[in-house]
Amino acid sequence: MSDDGDSDQFNGRMGLIFASIGAAIGTGNIWRFPRMVGANGGGTFLVPWLFFLFIWSIPLVIAEYAMGKRSRTGTIGTFRIFAGKKFAWMGLWTAWISTAIGFYYAVVSGWTIKYFQLGISGALNGEGVDTTEVWNAFLQNPGQVIFFQFLVIVLTLAAIWKGAKAIEKVNFYLMISLFALLFLTLFLSLWMDFSDGTLDGALFMFTVDFDMLFEPEVWINGLSQSAWSCSAGMGMCITYAVYMSKDEDTVLNAFTMGLANNSISIIAGLAVLSAIFAVNPDPLATVTGGSSAITFLALPEVFAQAPFAPIGPLFMMAGFFLALSFAAMTSMISTVELCVRNFVDHGYERGKSVALTGVALFMFGLPSAVMWVKLDGNGVAFPEFLEVQDHIWGYGLMFSGLFIAFSIWKYGYLRWKSGVEAGVAPPGFKGYLGFGVSAFRDDFINTGDNDMEVGRWWDLLMYLAFPILFAVLMISYFSDMIANTDDVWNPANPRGLGIILMFWGVVAALFIFFNKYLIRRPLYRNIPKGADVDISTLPGGDDELVVALGDTAPGFEHLSKDYVALDAELV
Amino acid sequence: MLNGKVIRTRPSFGVLIVLPLLLSLIAPIANASVNQEEPTGMAPEDVWSDDYINMIFPWASANEAKLQFKEYHTYDTMKSRMLRLAEDNPDIFEFHEGMNGGTNARGEEVTANAYEGWYYGHASPWMKITADVQDGDYNPFVGDNGNYPERHDVMIVGNHHAREWMSYTVPMMQLEVIAFSYDNIGYDNDGDGEIDEDPWGDANGDGALDDDGDCLGLNASFQDSNGDGTPCGPGDLGVDEDYSEQWITDLVNSREIYLIPMLNTDGNIYDRTVYMPGQCPDEEAWDCSAAGWRKNLRDNTVTGVTPVPDLDESVDEGCDGVDLNRNYQFEWGAPLGATGPLFPGACYAGQNNDVYNGPVDTVDQDNDGRLNEDHVDGKDDDADGLTDEDWLGGNSEPETKFIQDLTEMNDDTGDGSSEFKATITHHSYSELILYPWGHCTDCESPDHEQLKYHGQQMADMTQYANLQSSDLYPTSGDFCDWHYGVHGSYCYTSEIGTAFHQQQEDIDHIAVRNLGTGFYIAEIADNPRELADLAIANISQQNYLKELDESDIPSEGDIPIDICVSNEFPYSESNSMIKWRMVKPSRLQSDFGPREWATTSWESVDLMAVDDGCSVSNGNGTILRGMIPVSETATGKLHYKASVSTLSGSDLYQYPADGDYLVLDLTYRAAYGSLFGSMFMFALTAGFVWGGLAVCLRMMLSDDEVIDLTAPEEGA
Repeated sequence: MSDDGDSDQFNGRMGLIFASIGAAIGTGNIWRFPRMVGANGGGTFLVPWLFFLFIWSIPLVIAEYAMGKRSRTGTIGTFRIFAGKKFAWMGLWTAWISTAIGFYYAVVSGWTIKYFQLGISGALNGEGVDTTEVWNAFLQNPGQVIFFQFLVIVLTLAAIWKGAKAIEKVNFYLMISLFALLFLTLFLSLWMDFSDGTLDGALFMFTVDFDMLFEPEVWINGLSQSAWSCSAGMGMCITYAVYMSKDEDTVLNAFTMGLANNSISIIAGLAVLSAIFAVNPDPLATVTGGSSAITFLALPEVFAQAPFAPIGPLFMMAGFFLALSFAAMTSMISTVELCVRNFVDHGYERGKSVALTGVALFMFGLPSAVMWVKLDGNGVAFPEFLEVQDHIWGYGLMFSGLFIAFSIWKYGYLRWKSGVEAGVAPPGFKGYLGFGVSAFRDDFINTGDNDMEVGRWWDLLMYLAFPILFAVLMISYFSDMIANTDDVWNPANPRGLGIILMFWGVVAALFIFFNKYLIRRPLYRNIPKGADVDISTLPGGDDELVVALGDTAPGFEHLSKDYVALDAELV
Repeated sequence: MLNGKVIRTRPSFGVLIVLPLLLSLIAPIANASVNQEEPTGMAPEDVWSDDYINMIFPWASANEAKLQFKEYHTYDTMKSRMLRLAEDNPDIFEFHEGMNGGTNARGEEVTANAYEGWYYGHASPWMKITADVQDGDYNPFVGDNGNYPERHDVMIVGNHHAREWMSYTVPMMQLEVIAFSYDNIGYDNDGDGEIDEDPWGDANGDGALDDDGDCLGLNASFQDSNGDGTPCGPGDLGVDEDYSEQWITDLVNSREIYLIPMLNTDGNIYDRTVYMPGQCPDEEAWDCSAAGWRKNLRDNTVTGVTPVPDLDESVDEGCDGVDLNRNYQFEWGAPLGATGPLFPGACYAGQNNDVYNGPVDTVDQDNDGRLNEDHVDGKDDDADGLTDEDWLGGNSEPETKFIQDLTEMNDDTGDGSSEFKATITHHSYSELILYPWGHCTDCESPDHEQLKYHGQQMADMTQYANLQSSDLYPTSGDFCDWHYGVHGSYCYTSEIGTAFHQQQEDIDHIAVRNLGTGFYIAEIADNPRELADLAIANISQQNYLKELDESDIPSEGDIPIDICVSNEFPYSESNSMIKWRMVKPSRLQSDFGPREWATTSWESVDLMAVDDGCSVSNGNGTILRGMIPVSETATGKLHYKASVSTLSGSDLYQYPADGDYLVLDLTYRAAYGSLFGSMFMFALTAGFVWGGLAVCLRMMLSDDEVIDLTAPEEGA
């Protein structure tokens, strides 16, 4: 242990940044982003996508960092402190959504490693390779899928076993390698695309079609891409903020992370689109058509035509899928860490927490790996159970963001009310606007540590833009589903709305019920030495069970490092 | 593995007993195959679906023998099936029995019961078939909706003669096929995975009916599935088995088909329920040597002077009935192949009674005091300026009145002439296609060559003999002489099969063999004379739709589709068009066929002659061009086909033929972006994202010591 006492910290700012970027950059940047660009009019898509980076993603990440940096606990603790005892379940929801996504994300990450293996062995670029056959053969072989899922989990656990410092290091190497690999792919892609004298892919990706710019769909897609690809609202940044050193700038970190995430998206998008436009007679149909499985079907065909054969295609194939698997692995790490952090906060030993999370990930991921692997109308295999999981939990993420905003709203209101009572805040709605709305920003963001002062724009976004955009996203998603799905309310329909609402309802009800057990447990905060992390003004600030790591909670003297009980109700 | 072994070592008791039995059954086959040469060619089950091999038709379940054409319909089952089909397909079928009546074309007041059979009292059931049959004009006399002036009318009549059971079976199968095929584009009839690959006739011109070669590819022992001695002939499995549903749909959309499967309901019921059981009480009709009942059930004995009064009004088989196919008015009463009454009101009870043509007319139609002075032959016999105004006889029966009034009162265009330009009447048997004239020998009609041409087309698809009717034997007063002689309709008599009461197991394949003729008649109903003229002169065959490839696609603007028509071809720009649609298969759907795209509707663009010429195989041609308005950003597959009409109203010259279409792969034609726009956007994006990132990192590094993450961790 270092001289931070019992707390677990990143070595420095870059460590946090790399870890956060690793969390933010996932497969979404590399396979979803190019698809969205293709489907939404090329450069046209970049406008809403950039717009919402600043309107949605970065402000939310700022909030997450600020909350985590102050609470010094994972998501459950953060909500217990920031939203109050009664709302600890919101943190449980946030943790659950992330973990539930992790169940099948490990499977998907396994696919990327498998494809790296296929790429490097040359199995994807031989004469007469039918990529659909390769894909089907892999997906329909449960042993293979489970093996690579298992591999991902083992690698992830190995990376986070030792805590913040190891996470920092692994992310650093993986991210640097990811950059290098993506640049290699980009170079080869541009080479391919330029072989006919034009850079069609780049041209397409940066040309704005002003007619399409007024299509609401483009904006909704831009918002959802921005919301997902940054992991804003997922609780990742709350978790990693726990390991921040005491005087770090949350705002600068948020901007760095958001911009880095989008930088990678641009590079990946350029690489993928250039390659496809270089060799495909109908590139738009390829990038827009079908599901994410297209990555595994269309791209190998495209990469097989890379220059400098046989080395070029091999490099491109292996490089791309290695980059993809790195992106997936770093996101996997943050997912597991988010879960583990919550256990550690509640007094569990880190090693046991990691092991427990790993076993759960593997067990609950198994159905996604092997169940309901079907053939679609085109003879392409797809894992229906996995897609149903994604269907259910994908949008649950949005609520995590809403809960964060709720905490901010609540804090502002309470601060203004107590301010009025103490006579320091003006009463009335005007007073609320002046004192309450800015309270969170004043108390937790502009703490004096930051190089960048956050202005009133952030309040405006959190109080006004966020709820509107949240409503737009949910309404457009639901109404689209209601309009286009048969039997949409039947909970037995895996593509319907009924199943989503049912799962959300059951999980939320369960968590709200568990809330009272949750808050009877002590919460240990990971406080670095000398940090000013006063929480007395917060709704959960008067909770005497919330103590610093290494301290003893009243009534829980028996809980020391030598005595850790695994409590079934939390699993 | 282990389980499998356990099961194999313990076969059930039943299997043990049956096994030797099975082996003994296989033994002769095994012996036979040893003695034979190694068979070449496929077995049916290698090629087709089980249903197709067993002639289980897709419109009904396998156990519905009548709907599967394994048994004959009766009048009752036929009618209820027609009602059911009309109920299930209300957009294309309208069921009728007889007509309403009113004032007919010759000024007579007729009531609905004038069309009801003398004896059992049924009017002939019939089906009006056209798209949107509930819309269009209503005809108060006929009682049908769906009359469209621009749609050509077709009449298909079965069962003039009661005992000719295949003659109502074939139109019933046609009805089933229309109901099943309409808007069911790209159905794979034979389950071989291919679609519309073998339409009726020799579509690819290789001299064999089996266009796709699936029958010819079979082992020789399977090639004559109907056992008629002709391998891969019509009616054999795999021959003309997969016609185009699009083509049938096009026909239903552009024609009004009047399908009357059983004209002679009286006679048919009598033949089935009274006459044949009377002849062979213990045998089925098809096993009985008696020929059967032919005529309708006119009571000849009650009306006039007969030696013995017909007291009980029941059928007097020796005397009653009129041969409906001798009772039409054109050249009625000529002694050729028919029997007139010996004196008015009497029947001829002799040997030729079966072709009795009905009573002599007793009415002075023109009230000039002279009787029957101008009989129906298209000439002004009495030189009074009127033609055929006081006839000798004929048209005396409810059934023939029905046909005659339906023909003459179905005048959609209001020009006073019949709309039926093509008609067919099914009979049995003899395996013939007959065309007018019937009433004269060593004579030719004015349209002889053209009639012969279309007859030959139908004879080719059935492999029947194509004859002038009177070359078989002369007949007067038959359906086709009347239709052609009075109304100029191209009229054919098909003589189906080899028996009046065909064996039941032969129903299905004989019906299949004759299915194409009814559709052919519908196809040529627009303008049969011109179609024949242009085909005989080898003009219409010259036209072709140009097949485009990638290099023909202009880099911007509409895509021109050219059809090259012979300069001798009298094309009409106004009704000709290119039909097209854009479909977008995903990367993996490139093999999808018409069935998958049938829901994408066709759009059409006009054709215009352009100055460029083109060459056809026997001379020069004109290019008709249609411009397909697809945007430069559209990608996918462009389906296109041409429909050309002539100045004289032939409207169904389709290129390619048989409801098919050509496909052009269309790639993205527009520029993927503008150079300056994209450079500006790139600068903007890069400035925002990468510039912003650089600023952030700079700020971060300037006030933070850089920690070497690669250095080994201390104290870990």
